[in-house]
Amino acid sequence: MSVEHLPRKEVNVLKGHEGAVLAARFNGDGNYCLSCGKDRTIRLWNPHRGIHIKTYKSHGREVRDVHVTSDNSKLCSCGGDRQIFYWDVATGRVIRKFRGHDGEVNGVKFNEYSSVVVSAGYDQSLRAWDCRSHSTEPIQIIDTFADSVMSICLTKTEIIGGSVDGTVRTFDIRIGSEISDNLGQPVNCVSMSNDGNCILAGCLDSTLRLLDRSTGELLQEYKGHTNKSFKLDCCLTNTDAHVTGGSEDGFIYFWDLVDASVVSKFRAHNSVVTSVSYHPKENCMVTSSVDGTIRVWKT
Amino acid sequence: MESDEEDFVFYGTPIEREDDLLSRKKKAIAESSGQLRTLPAWKQEVRDEEGRRRFHGAFTGGYSAGYYNTVGSKEGWAPQSFKSSRKNRAEFKEQNILNFLDEDEKSVGYLIGGRGSGTTSQFDTFGFTAAEIARKQVEKEQKQRTKAMCLILVSLVHLAALFHLKPSIIPGPAPDEIVVPVTESVGVKLLLKMGWSRGRTIKDSHSDALYDARRQARRAFLAFSSDDPKVEVSESESVKGDIENFPEEPVNDDVQFSKSTPYGSFGIVMCDVYVLNPKQDLHGLGFDPYKHAPEFRENKRSRIANKSGLGFSSRDSLFGLKSGKAAPGFGIGALEELDAEDEDVYATGYEFEDAYVQEVEEPSTLRLENQTKKEKKDQGDLPGFRVASNSDYKMERFEAPLVPKDFVPRHEFSGPLDINRKTYEVTPPDAPPPEDGNLKLLIEGVANLVAKCGKLYEDLSKEKNQSNPLFSFLSGGTGHEYYARKLWEAQQKHNDQTSQQLNGKMPPSVKKLTAESRGQILGEKPLEKSSQIPSSSVASTDIQLQFNLTDTFTKSASFSQLTNVENPFKDDPAKQERFELFLKEKYKGGLRSASSSLASDMSEAARAQERLSFEAAAEAIEKARQGRGSKLLSPSSMDFIPGGVMQFTSSEVEPKKDLKAEDILRKKMYPKREEFQWRPSPLLCKRFDLIDPYMGKPPPVPRIRSKMDSLIFTSDSVKGIKVDDPETSKKEISSLPQSTNEDITKSITENKTEGDVKVENIERPVDLYKAIFSDDSEDEGGDSGIGRVDNQEKKAEVANTALSRLIAGDFLESLGKELGIGVPPDMPYATQKSKNIALQKELVNEDTRTDILKSQNNDEMSLNHDLPYDQQIAREDVPSKGDTIHGNMRESSNVNSKGNSTMNYRPDKSHEENIKDARKVKTPVTHRRDYNSSSSLEEEKNRKCSRHHRHKRRNEGSDSSGDDERDRQHSSRSKGRRKGSSREKSRSEKHSKHHKHRKHESPNRSSRYSNEKDNPHSKNEKRRRE
Repeated sequence: MSVEHLPRKEVNVLKGHEGAVLAARFNGDGNYCLSCGKDRTIRLWNPHRGIHIKTYKSHGREVRDVHVTSDNSKLCSCGGDRQIFYWDVATGRVIRKFRGHDGEVNGVKFNEYSSVVVSAGYDQSLRAWDCRSHSTEPIQIIDTFADSVMSICLTKTEIIGGSVDGTVRTFDIRIGSEISDNLGQPVNCVSMSNDGNCILAGCLDSTLRLLDRSTGELLQEYKGHTNKSFKLDCCLTNTDAHVTGGSEDGFIYFWDLVDASVVSKFRAHNSVVTSVSYHPKENCMVTSSVDGTIRVWKT
Repeated sequence: MESDEEDFVFYGTPIEREDDLLSRKKKAIAESSGQLRTLPAWKQEVRDEEGRRRFHGAFTGGYSAGYYNTVGSKEGWAPQSFKSSRKNRAEFKEQNILNFLDEDEKSVGYLIGGRGSGTTSQFDTFGFTAAEIARKQVEKEQKQRTKAMCLILVSLVHLAALFHLKPSIIPGPAPDEIVVPVTESVGVKLLLKMGWSRGRTIKDSHSDALYDARRQARRAFLAFSSDDPKVEVSESESVKGDIENFPEEPVNDDVQFSKSTPYGSFGIVMCDVYVLNPKQDLHGLGFDPYKHAPEFRENKRSRIANKSGLGFSSRDSLFGLKSGKAAPGFGIGALEELDAEDEDVYATGYEFEDAYVQEVEEPSTLRLENQTKKEKKDQGDLPGFRVASNSDYKMERFEAPLVPKDFVPRHEFSGPLDINRKTYEVTPPDAPPPEDGNLKLLIEGVANLVAKCGKLYEDLSKEKNQSNPLFSFLSGGTGHEYYARKLWEAQQKHNDQTSQQLNGKMPPSVKKLTAESRGQILGEKPLEKSSQIPSSSVASTDIQLQFNLTDTFTKSASFSQLTNVENPFKDDPAKQERFELFLKEKYKGGLRSASSSLASDMSEAARAQERLSFEAAAEAIEKARQGRGSKLLSPSSMDFIPGGVMQFTSSEVEPKKDLKAEDILRKKMYPKREEFQWRPSPLLCKRFDLIDPYMGKPPPVPRIRSKMDSLIFTSDSVKGIKVDDPETSKKEISSLPQSTNEDITKSITENKTEGDVKVENIERPVDLYKAIFSDDSEDEGGDSGIGRVDNQEKKAEVANTALSRLIAGDFLESLGKELGIGVPPDMPYATQKSKNIALQKELVNEDTRTDILKSQNNDEMSLNHDLPYDQQIAREDVPSKGDTIHGNMRESSNVNSKGNSTMNYRPDKSHEENIKDARKVKTPVTHRRDYNSSSSLEEEKNRKCSRHHRHKRRNEGSDSSGDDERDRQHSSRSKGRRKGSSREKSRSEKHSKHHKHRKHESPNRSSRYSNEKDNPHSKNEKRRRE
């Protein structure tokens, strides 16, 4: 994919959040996107048409992460109120709240079957919550992290968490092993490549690191942006050809996956770009920022 | 009750007596007015207090429809006489509340301040309260004082009227009143604050008395007035009257006030007293945005002053708040406490301060009064006053003290150093060193020391070594001259150095060097030269260029380094020449020319001085050269830079290399991959639709294989012995601090015993039994001598080795996994253990409770006699009881590793956590056992108790921790066995508990146990006899 195919044209600005937007995520098929922010709301958008569809209010504090099931029927969200909310998308009602984290919850994800919500918390733990039963207790608590767990990523068989202690830990359920890759720098964000072979870890030394999952080898480092104090997201493009991520100066960067050169950067927001999410199939991207906007980018 | 009922709506018809019905019906209805409500509204009737019907419809009036409830007079209404509105145009009639009050209400004083109304003096705004009266007394006095001033002001009033100014300057004695010492009501205070002055009415200024005053001043203004002055409501006429003779009696406050007060606040005329600091912002009352930043107040004031006059911005909106100004994360509820996480970490969302300031500077409303004010402001805030050119609010600022230009930041010590300097003002002559080499060395050493440490040292050593002939040079003996010379030299050198350091008068090269060396010390990286481009082709040309440069700089090949920069004496060419000569002599070897011919004209002292300075400079240069050389020697830079290149070239390549090296190093270090065992919960596996990798395996330990290994393949375990044995020797210092993790230790001890059991069953080492039981019998004899402890320990060691031999093998592996340390099966936890041990040993050694722990170890060992049962179970029930056994084994391995190898439970953190994990998994099992421990063999218990008792005795006094844990145990267990101190008891209970569990698990164990018990006992007996 050449540079021209990178989504660099702003097609929509989604406004509605008051205050910083902390995360914006495409849903499974990329037709919708979810955002959450400091105004304690979660919002559902159609980014392609720039329409605000629904607002989910129940959180008591800022909402830090949100994820939607693959069938788009349920949401999970987490935030500063130390709870994980399990929502019904259509009605906007909270089906369940999972309490138990001792600190703010930084990230949530559904597993493949939407039967488990795994959350990553400031209390240095990952917790898996059961959506199927009515148990309020977590299925499992993983507390081998030495510091706040910032981000989480699930595959069919693994739970991957990135922590401020500098490790990306992969918990393989199938094998029953924990693989800890110490990067030496606080990890802000972990995201998987689309082929599932690599982990992209955003570190607080203004570097994104690409790890080979099977060997733990550091494949590449992507630099140029600024990320020293905020939790910023990063991800790979849908073709895995480029790496993209926001910067604290409002820029969005695109790196070539292989040679780590900055192939494109442009100013997308007035303020810190907190989150980037790439469309699973098309060349489309949504970015969210502290300036309260979510922008949709296309080629 | 009745009154209650009156307010209720009743349903249904009340039963009434028939006889009363007719006569009282109406009255009853009237009395219980509540009943009216049962009727629909159109059926209800209004009655007076006697139950008479006073309101009638138009056609049902009859006689009683008199004036009672209508007009209020017998005559009824009189039609208003026609008035032509030709002359009297429709007037705007002012009404006040009195127009709508009835006589009785008026008499009651309804709504009229002060009369009959119950406000307290404090809230009685206009009331004629005692306070008010007292205040008025004061006012009267003030009136006298202010009269003169007011007269002046009156003239101003007229003037102001001329200019269509609101006569706000009417000389209410406001300033004086504010200081009135008598208490005032809140309302008055508020009004005063709002600009009201006493005696003025609170009314719109149109149509007020002031207007009349104006009219009186100039009739012409009447035409422009919006109100007709003639139309005065009656009550205000009195005021008008007052005001009309206002010029004559300008301070007629009292009269006016008293007249206006009867009508409450309604007749009072508003006057435009200029408020010094009107509240024009939208802040809450009393909120001062500049409370902590008076500078901004100044700022704002000046801005307003600039803007004053006509420049009213159109921005003044009541909703001047920018929406963004509300805290960006606005959603925090009022009840939620605002803590750190609510801070706007992004802080960039809104220009908070901007909005804030903008908002502040707007006057919220545009009013005519403002305009007048503004105009007045030009003249001054108050007539007769001017705005002060310098405000009180000015922050007092102090200039930073000026540092004199020649100031040297250096402290001069008036101590011995200075004295020394002066001591040898006269340069001692160059003296030949004494023949004795030792003496020479001594002299030089002393001289150096004295130079460094001061004269005091000389005196001291003189005093000390008075009798020592070697030190005679100090007091004028042999070598004194040499000493003097050396001392002088040393002092010069020393002073030079210090002065160089302090004054910064070093030659440039030296200076540069120090900066760099300091940088080196601090790990700084020199700035990269911008021209340097890391491409090889450019680099080569660069180097060539540098070569050329150095060629030009250098004077001779041997002094290639001695560039211009490094010429320390370039300001003095002659000296420089001498210096170079000196250098040549110094480094080229050969004989020195006795005295440099160049400096022949110099005095001896000057020459000596110069030589010292040369020496110093040469030294510095040498150092520089060395530093450079070493840099050049660094392999990476060697390739690019040949030896002769100037220093900065080397330094510019080097950092890059350093960075790279660092990078590489870091890359080598990170990412670091470690692999641990992690056990997903079965439910998680289920939810992920995966097969539990540990399915069917005992909860704590992953692999069954390990268990089998440990049981069968003793050959494996032999390897472990070697590792373990040395560690058993450390047992003496091992400690099981029974601190907070008491339960950990508990479970560990338990498990340990279990693990031990297995071992025994396999090998049955006799000495193990001996170790276990012999001391038992001994101690039962009541002997608690210390000498025995050693014996016991020895036994315990033996037992431990035996145990470890058996257990070490695969347990270690599993343990390693459990602890998160990748231990290859062959190389058991020994390494890891040793690590832990190494860390903890020190701690342990310092541990005052060492002996306690020791004894505890013994306890554990002694517990081994229980173990066979477990072992038995394990063997018998391997398939079915795999879980528990496995757990036991794992933990026993834990225990063993720790116990044998002086397991400290003062673990480093990760270790502890691992243990915690293990414990977490473990706890359910133990709990179960706890609860199950209902049946117990008394004899066992007793024996145990006694044994523990014994151990406890040893431990007594030093065992301080874990009380709570014991208490717990205590409470949870039967209290039948109380022996000795609670500590002992609890301890014994603990052990017995373990015991019990085991028993419970396998009923057949008990019989087994008895057999074996006998056996070991007999063995013990045997051993004793031996």
